[in-house]
Amino acid sequence: MSTVSQLPDRGWSRSYELGVVQEVLLALLAKEASYGYQLRARLQLALGPLADSLNPGHVYVTLGRLEKTGLVNSEHIEQSDRADRKVYALTGAGHDRVKEWLDDTSWPKPAPAQFHLKLVAAAVAGLADPVRLVDAQRHALLEALGAAQHAALAEADGAVASLLLEGVVLRLQADLRWLEACARFWSSKGDR
Amino acid sequence: MGKVFLVSRLALADVRRHPLEAGLLLLAITAATATLALGLVLHGVTTSPYQRTRAATAGPDVVAGLVNLKLPPKVRKGPLRSGHETIFGTGEQPSKARTASFDALAHAPGVLAHSGPYPVAWATLGVHGITAGVAAEGRDRATANVDQPLVTKGSWVGSGDAVVEQGYANALGIHVGETITLNGHSFTVSGLAVTAAVPEYPDAESAFGVAPFPHPGLVWVTRAAAQNLAGTHPLSYLLNLRLRDPVKATAFVDARTNLPLSLVSAQTILQKDAKLVEVEQTALTIGSWLLGLLAIASVAVLVGGRMTEQARRVGLLKAVGATPALVASVLLLEDLGLALLAATAGLLIGWIAAPLLTTPGAGLLGSAGAPSLTIATIGLVTGVALAVALFATLAPALRASRLSTVRALANAARTPRRRVALIALSTRLPVPLLLGIRLAARRPRRALLGALSIAITVTTIVAVVTVRAHQASQKIAGFSAIDNPRTDRINHALLVVSVVLIVLAAINALFITWSTAIDARHQLAIARALGATPAQIGAGLTAAQLIPALPGIILGIPAGIILVAALSHGDKTVVPGTWSLIAVSAGTLLVVSALTTIPARIGARRPVAEILQAELT
Amino acid sequence: MERVGSLLRARGLCREYGTGAALVSAVKNIDLDVNAGETVAVMGPSGCGKSTLLHLLGGLERPSRGELQLAGRRMDGLSEKALARLRLSTIGFVFQAFHLVEELTAAENVELPALLAGRSMRAARARAAALLEEVGLSDRAGHLPSALSGGQRQRVAIARALSSEPEIVFADEPTGNLDSASTLDVLRLLERLRVAGQTLVIVTHDERIAATADRLISMRDGSFIEEMRLAHGSSTRLGELAGFER
Repeated sequence: MSTVSQLPDRGWSRSYELGVVQEVLLALLAKEASYGYQLRARLQLALGPLADSLNPGHVYVTLGRLEKTGLVNSEHIEQSDRADRKVYALTGAGHDRVKEWLDDTSWPKPAPAQFHLKLVAAAVAGLADPVRLVDAQRHALLEALGAAQHAALAEADGAVASLLLEGVVLRLQADLRWLEACARFWSSKGDR
Repeated sequence: MGKVFLVSRLALADVRRHPLEAGLLLLAITAATATLALGLVLHGVTTSPYQRTRAATAGPDVVAGLVNLKLPPKVRKGPLRSGHETIFGTGEQPSKARTASFDALAHAPGVLAHSGPYPVAWATLGVHGITAGVAAEGRDRATANVDQPLVTKGSWVGSGDAVVEQGYANALGIHVGETITLNGHSFTVSGLAVTAAVPEYPDAESAFGVAPFPHPGLVWVTRAAAQNLAGTHPLSYLLNLRLRDPVKATAFVDARTNLPLSLVSAQTILQKDAKLVEVEQTALTIGSWLLGLLAIASVAVLVGGRMTEQARRVGLLKAVGATPALVASVLLLEDLGLALLAATAGLLIGWIAAPLLTTPGAGLLGSAGAPSLTIATIGLVTGVALAVALFATLAPALRASRLSTVRALANAARTPRRRVALIALSTRLPVPLLLGIRLAARRPRRALLGALSIAITVTTIVAVVTVRAHQASQKIAGFSAIDNPRTDRINHALLVVSVVLIVLAAINALFITWSTAIDARHQLAIARALGATPAQIGAGLTAAQLIPALPGIILGIPAGIILVAALSHGDKTVVPGTWSLIAVSAGTLLVVSALTTIPARIGARRPVAEILQAELT
Repeated sequence: MERVGSLLRARGLCREYGTGAALVSAVKNIDLDVNAGETVAVMGPSGCGKSTLLHLLGGLERPSRGELQLAGRRMDGLSEKALARLRLSTIGFVFQAFHLVEELTAAENVELPALLAGRSMRAARARAAALLEEVGLSDRAGHLPSALSGGQRQRVAIARALSSEPEIVFADEPTGNLDSASTLDVLRLLERLRVAGQTLVIVTHDERIAATADRLISMRDGSFIEEMRLAHGSSTRLGELAGFER
């Protein structure tokens, strides 16, 4: 996950992708074969408000990729009153992949090193006050935290998407705590 | 042995940690024991002085009195009583038969010698602007063989002279050389004397059996003067008898109760003389009971205030393996030890202060000598002190020792009681009463003790007021109100008891308010944070004290009157006037209010934030 | 009523304890303006004086020096009695330790300010019922604090603080004693108050609460260090924070 601060805000952007969508779709198909739109609906439910930022075609593109790699099979269904639809089903290889994914305990990597090195570099090169950098970053994260918190509060009680938002919030909180520690360190360094 | 040592050390450590509470406990119990000791020590204090007087004056074994009064025709009563009551207007007309039986006594079997009959005139005495009634006994210049009053100052009777009984002279402030009037005639006081034949003032009438006015004084004049003073009224007479066997004096008197005369034995006279001190003793003893009750309430309040802390100590002790018995003994030892100390202090005070009260009366010779502390006295005082402490601390100590270790360590502080009805009631009332009711309802036991303390105090004050009212009603029309030594002593003793009691009760009230404020400081701090003004808080604390004070007052007023009635042995009890009762009630409420504002003000100084912060620790 | 100027205004506010060598300055020369409807959060390490500052602003303690104005009235010179009246009518205070009266039910706790203000029993009861409804605890009205969870207790405390419709509500570490689930409940409630236009000044450790404020002030050693205005951003970038990639 890259740090958020320096990216320009593109407004209503729907151009994100989610790396893990491949495995998720495989898992969703493990129970039974589904239409593409059904899979997309399930995904949207799980992601809640965040689903809006996902590229709308992302699901279908991924399904195509999965078909190419032989993890999924598709079938055309003829419809009388509307466009033809594809039904997707899992192959044996697909099942294995799902099992592998579920058993995998590796965790997405955080990257404190990036910001840490930024501060060190700024201090060494004398280009910027590390404390100012930390404050700016804190500001941005706080705003993000605010947004995430609001989104979380907007969710209905018990909605599964609120769990996702809680995750965002708590990780931001952890990051902010670390930033506080950075501020203390660099300001005391500056006092000497 | 080790256990005793351990227990003592723990108890001592606790006392040192709370010197103020220990001191108050000591004070409360000492007040009760000292008063009791004083009362007990006064017993039998008059005997020696009486014997001395009897020896010095050749006192009689039996005194006979014949009282003749001219009565209005319609007031005719029965035979003379040889009792001690004086009723205005009783007595009998002179009759030959009565005079005959009176004179015959001088030669009755068993009589060794006699003096008299001496004429007695009832006269009005005037001196220093005071008017009083006296019996003027006519005497010879020559020394009588039975009952020759001993002149302590000045000289014996002469023409135009009067000798005043010493007790009476003291009460009226009469000195040798002064001029008094008897029935308007001037007399010079030539001397003061004591006698064993007539009980000293104010009980002189006992020698006569009856008198035209209560509490007559006794003066001696010449026979001629006595006859002059009587004027057209018939004379009364006194006859002093010495028996062959002095021990038979009572029998002599008992054998002649049917006679329409008054006969008293020396023993009875001694009793009358002793009555002076006796009433003081009674007042002090009753006072010590009341103080004892108050002390129980005080100690209970003090102990109650320590309960939460005790629970924690109990927990610690149990956690290191102490048995419930050991724990209870630590808790009890402290209080009982202080009680023993209080008993000792009380006995000491009683022993030291007794000489101030043991003067047998000016009408007898000499002092009573050093009071002695008998084993019985020591035992009783110590027993009372221990009983007071035990009453107040046994139940809490047992309860504390039975707490399970975990609960005790967790300091299961006595959770305040929640009374739904009272809380609901309080919401309808203005803020001070709202706070007051809730504060009082949290700790009902403390409220009860407060009410009891007030009840005991009001009982005492009302009893004093009733006694005073009774004394005031004794005034006779036409005569000045003179305090006689008996009332003086009663009032003195009552004053001492009242002052000590009021001081203790005041300390009690202060302490209860203080512990209420401490106990409720969280709730009060919240109230202040929410916007209650310091004045409202103070008023609430005061209301919390006044609310239990009201039933205390309502209980105390009849209790005081009943107490006096019970002690008056059937004398008609005078109920004190409504205004004085209202004054007592209002005064009590005012004093309680004033006392409670002190801790309230102190508490109101601290900023709210500080108190709330402190509650977190 | 339209008010010109800020609702709460502090100038040179100081609070010192002790004297001479033992002098401790808890709050040093604070200037602050809070406008009606604003939510201000104050953050800082422990011991920085933020709680003391809140106590000063809320009239629970007197400043050693400085000016303090609330709703146009000077607060710093008021008597204890006047301050109490102010706390009753204009200020609501929420504490970290809740400070509910243990032996009163939730409803009885909430009706306390109304009773202290002299309102009738019926009016006080009705107000308490309405407030408990607002915080979602009507079904717990008859429970003692000991039977309530931390979050529920704090919500009762908030209901109590709202009793007199205060112009400003001060909250001192409102979620300091709460677990995460309770924190969320309180957070939800505070957010509702903020949206409804209640002026809030919150001292907090919790970044989540701070992030929902309009202004965030950092405090250290008794002084303000910096102030941030937080724009309430949209959730478009949240995807990145959740793991989406471009």
